[in-house]
Order: sequence, then structure tokens, then C-alpha cells
Amino acid sequence: MPKLFIFAIGGTGSRVLKSLAMLLAAGVKPDRKQDFEIVPMIIDPHIQNQDLQRTKRLLENYKSIVDKVKLGNGFFNTDITPLNDDAQDPNFVFNLRADSESENTFRDYIALNTINDANKPLAEVLFSGKSINNLGNSIDLLDIQMDIGFVGNPNIGSVVLNQFKDFEEFRDFSNKFNEQDRIFIISSIFGGTGAAGFPIILKNIRNAINLQNAVARGFLQNAKVGALTVCPYFNIQANENSPIQRSHFIAKTRAALYYYKDNITGNNSVNALYYIGDDYIGEAYQNDPGNSGQKNKAHFIELASALAIIDFLDIPDEQLRCNNGRAQNPIYKQFAIRNDIQEITFADLCDGTNGKIELRLSQLTFLYKYVNKHLREALEQQPWTQDEPRIDDAFLNTPFYRTYLSQFLDSYKDWLTEMAENKRAFSPFNLNSNLETLIKGRQVKGGIFGGRVDYNRFDDYLNRAAHDQQYASAEQKFVKLFFDATKNLLTEKFGFQKQ
Amino acid sequence: MTEIFASLYEFFGFLPFYSKDFADHLRGWAADCSGYTGTVWYNIIAFTMTGVIALGYALMYHIIDSSKWNKKQHWWIVSLVIIALNWFIAFIIPFNAIRAGDYCKELLLTINDCVGFGFSNAIWSLILFILLTSFKYPKISSKNCRYTTFWNP
Repeated sequence: MPKLFIFAIGGTGSRVLKSLAMLLAAGVKPDRKQDFEIVPMIIDPHIQNQDLQRTKRLLENYKSIVDKVKLGNGFFNTDITPLNDDAQDPNFVFNLRADSESENTFRDYIALNTINDANKPLAEVLFSGKSINNLGNSIDLLDIQMDIGFVGNPNIGSVVLNQFKDFEEFRDFSNKFNEQDRIFIISSIFGGTGAAGFPIILKNIRNAINLQNAVARGFLQNAKVGALTVCPYFNIQANENSPIQRSHFIAKTRAALYYYKDNITGNNSVNALYYIGDDYIGEAYQNDPGNSGQKNKAHFIELASALAIIDFLDIPDEQLRCNNGRAQNPIYKQFAIRNDIQEITFADLCDGTNGKIELRLSQLTFLYKYVNKHLREALEQQPWTQDEPRIDDAFLNTPFYRTYLSQFLDSYKDWLTEMAENKRAFSPFNLNSNLETLIKGRQVKGGIFGGRVDYNRFDDYLNRAAHDQQYASAEQKFVKLFFDATKNLLTEKFGFQKQ
Repeated sequence: MTEIFASLYEFFGFLPFYSKDFADHLRGWAADCSGYTGTVWYNIIAFTMTGVIALGYALMYHIIDSSKWNKKQHWWIVSLVIIALNWFIAFIIPFNAIRAGDYCKELLLTINDCVGFGFSNAIWSLILFILLTSFKYPKISSKNCRYTTFWNP
């Protein structure tokens, strides 16, 4: 199966990856029949970044679920594997900090004290300015701590990330890349890590032919590369001591776009480039670049960004051809919704987007509701739990259910809640309501014998779906059964079209 | 066939359920007392009982077939309806015959016999309903009640 290698750079990269994991868990897939294995690589020096940690846990749970149930069950129907899956300690995070013990600050990283007297002043000018440390105290930019990211400074990020090609992970990636594989790069354009990382990673891929240690350098040079450039889409609290200011977002974006004009779009380095952003000024995030920084609420833009990855997989190979590292027919795309409103529901999405996600996300939401509200009542009471392999108390105590699936579904609920609370909000579900009014804008189809849609009706569909079916394991049964039952329930009772 | 049904109903003994005269009447002892040439009530009532059980089973396991009505208490509700109906059928048919005088006058028949026969029919209907719903087949074809028995879930 071909792979899609995703470089998720910075906090935005992690958050988009989280949205992608949610979509894949719900069973969203490209329309094309070709399946891909997703290999995400999170690139962020700010390892303690909460967004990164949350995404890492989510991906680990996702992987554990797929390892247990395999593919072909509707939910969790795309493989997500770490690059170093064969290693003892597989990890989704690109280790940028291998030498960090001795390099606490950027000054140490570039070994400023060893630079000769002629060049030292130049370096000091290039990296002049102020930032803050993780205690919030003002410091020189050169003294920025390397473990909290580049704090909105792409000039620093570009120096650090320029070592990218020398990292073990990049060598591993270049050894595993095959001709039919694809690459996708997620970055924000208005910060530090993403803005610096995207051009550098792209350059290293397109120039891989010059890398002696890259086994697949020929393939890499002409690889099908898609990229997502996330433009400003959120607001942050004003804090004059912080190096991160909303007022800088547009200036940084403009500067980066000028750079891209010559070095990315101008020279056809990328096959498909997706621009996404939102000029809506919504709720301000906490301005915290320090140690506990960046635990941002999930945002609709990140979901739309994740859809760009699905869209990229839908593009046929013929349209992604390269010659000498240059895309023959580069594609540029933006994303739009039907209505410019503060609270988005499924009805406000364009038909293509809606058709892709409404049914699947609704299915996963129904699973979440059932698991949290009714599952224990159904155990040993409903035939679908009594059919072999049984779903019983012992099943609820397995790591699969108790840890991987439960944690994933809790994260899914948090993700939906955060998007609904954010501004602009994406709020397609009434998460605290009953099943009949769970999906905003969808009503139960009437009829004399139509009946209510409650958990008993849900059990009806589960019992019917489980009837005469064979399952390899309780875990596989649980995932497949809920996918089948929710699909039937939603198409028959809520008027969804079968997919 | 008659003997099979008769042996089932009389399995409990003639007393206390009903008398031997009443059993002869059910076997078809003619109203003119000429022999077993009259209506064989054992067959009619046994077939009716079977039909009522089949109807109750079909209703619960295949027609209603609901996840809301698939617990043992629902089984008992259906079985009580089956029991009541079968008791009533077994009571009312001979009772009407007695009231109409449509039986051999040499037989000594009473209302208690009708009540007792009703009990016999009711007990057998319960036993047969238990048997019908305790085995894997045919209830396995039910979507929501395929594990529903008098004791489960």
C-alpha cells in the first residue's frame, strides 16, 4: 500500500494532524479507491507543547486500535503508523533535540562564542531582538531556549531546521520512501516553526538527489508533494511582554508569501498547495509561549485543513507529475464555506465537504453517545452483546476499550466541544441532547411506524447488524458493528444518503 | 392423534383437574351416548393451543421483535397472555357445550371440570412455550429476541 508521509510542523501541524486523525477514525476516506498508509511526523522543538502531546497520545491510541482490529471495519479504516514503526520505541515525533543537553539556548546552538570576531557582530545583528524565557522574563533573542519552539521567530527556526537533512529521521524517511508514495507538509505561515520549516523541508526533498545518504533520492526529487499553508486564523490575547503578537501575524504572512513567490510557487516546487485562513477575529487564545504553552482549542480551520490532506489523496497521479524536481501542473487551492456565519453547522458547508464528513462524523458521534450513555445497560441484555465473541464486563476492562478506545472517544468529544466553543465555531452537534436532536439541522423521518430514535432503537440496529455475522474478535466486532449499525440508523431514520 | 393429546392432558391425572366422564366427553363421546363419534374436543383444543402459542411466539420474536421488549419479564408477560387465552379457550368450549346440553346425559359433567381442563391446557401451553423458546432454533432468526427465554436476559 502506498504511503502518505506527513510533515506536521509546529503547533498548527499537530492540531491539523489531530483533526485528520478524527476524520480517519470516523471513516472519512478519499473518493478514489486507492488506499494510503499515513505516516505522520510531528516536527516541533517545543516537545512540551500541549497540542503536540495531545496529538501524540491520540495517534498512539489510534494506532493501538488499528493494530487490534485491523482495517476494513469502517471506523479507523486507514492505517496510521510512525516512521520508525520497526524500532523498539516507535514515535510520531521527529526528534529535533538530539544534542539538546549541551545546547540550551540559541546562542549555544550556533556556538556564538566560537564564531570569529569578524562574523560575530553579523550574527548578533541577524539575531538581534527580544523574546521571553519560559518564566516570562524578557531576554535577548540569542538566549531563547531551544525547548520552547521558535516563538514566532522564523529566522531562528530556519537555522535550526536547516539541519533537517542530517537528522536520523530524515535518513529513515528517505530510505522508506517509494515511487508511488506521496508527501504532505503542514505548516502555519504566521509563526516561527512552521514558517521556517516548510520551505526547508521542501528544499531538502527536492534537492535530495544531492544527498549521499538518501537511498530514495531519485524518487524524492520527483515526489508528489502537497502542502498546506495555514494563514492567520486565530486571535491571541494582547501581551506587550510576549514575543507573539497578533499584529505581527499579517506582516509575517506577507513576508513569507513573498518568499514563497520566488522559492516555492514561483519555481513549481510543490505539486499541490492549499491556502487556508480566516480573517474572522474571534475569541482570543491565551498568549503563553512558555513551557506550558500552546494548548489551543481545536478550530474549524484545522478540520478544513485536514480535509486538504484528504483532497490531496484524491488527486490522480497523472496530475502530480514532476520533472527534475519541478511540478508540471502545480495546483493551488483554497477552501470556502457556504455561509459567512459565526457558528458553522453541516448545512453551512459546501456540498462536497458536507458529503464527505457529515455522515461519518455523525456515526462516530453516535458511537460516542452510546458508549457513554447506554453501553453498560446493554451488556448481557441485548443480543449483540451476547453473540460470540461477547461484549461483556471483561471486554470493558481490556486495554483496547478501557484505554485506547475510551481515551480516543473522550478526545473526540473534547475536539468537538472545543470547536463548538471556539469563535468562529463549528458546532454541528447538540452533544448534550438526546439522539433525535443530536445532529443540528437533521430531523428523524416521520411515518406511522417511524417511531422514536432512542437507545432502544439504537439497540435494534445493533442487533440487526450483528445478526448472522462472524467477527474475528470482540474488538473488531465492536468497531465494525457500530459502524454498520450507525450507518443504517442514520440513513434510514435521518435521511442520510448511503455511502 | 387424539390419544396423544389425551395422554398429555390426562398426564396430570383426572383429579384434581377434571373427571373421567369429562375426559370421555373431550374424546368425542357422542351426545346420544352411542360411542366416540362426537366432536373430539381434545384435538380441537390442542390445535387451538398450539396456534395460540405460535401466535404469541411470532408476535414477540418476529413481529414486534423489539430491543425494548426482549427481557425475561416481557417473556413472562407474553406467556401469561398465552396461558390466560388457553385457559379461557379450554374452559369456554366445553362450558358452552354443557350449557347447551350438547353432551351425553349419562356423563356427569360440572363447571369444575371445565375450570380444571382450562388449567391443564394452560399448564401445557406454558410448558410448550418454554420448550419452543428455550432451544436455539427457531428463535435464532429473531433479530432482537434471539436470546430471550423465561430466565434470560
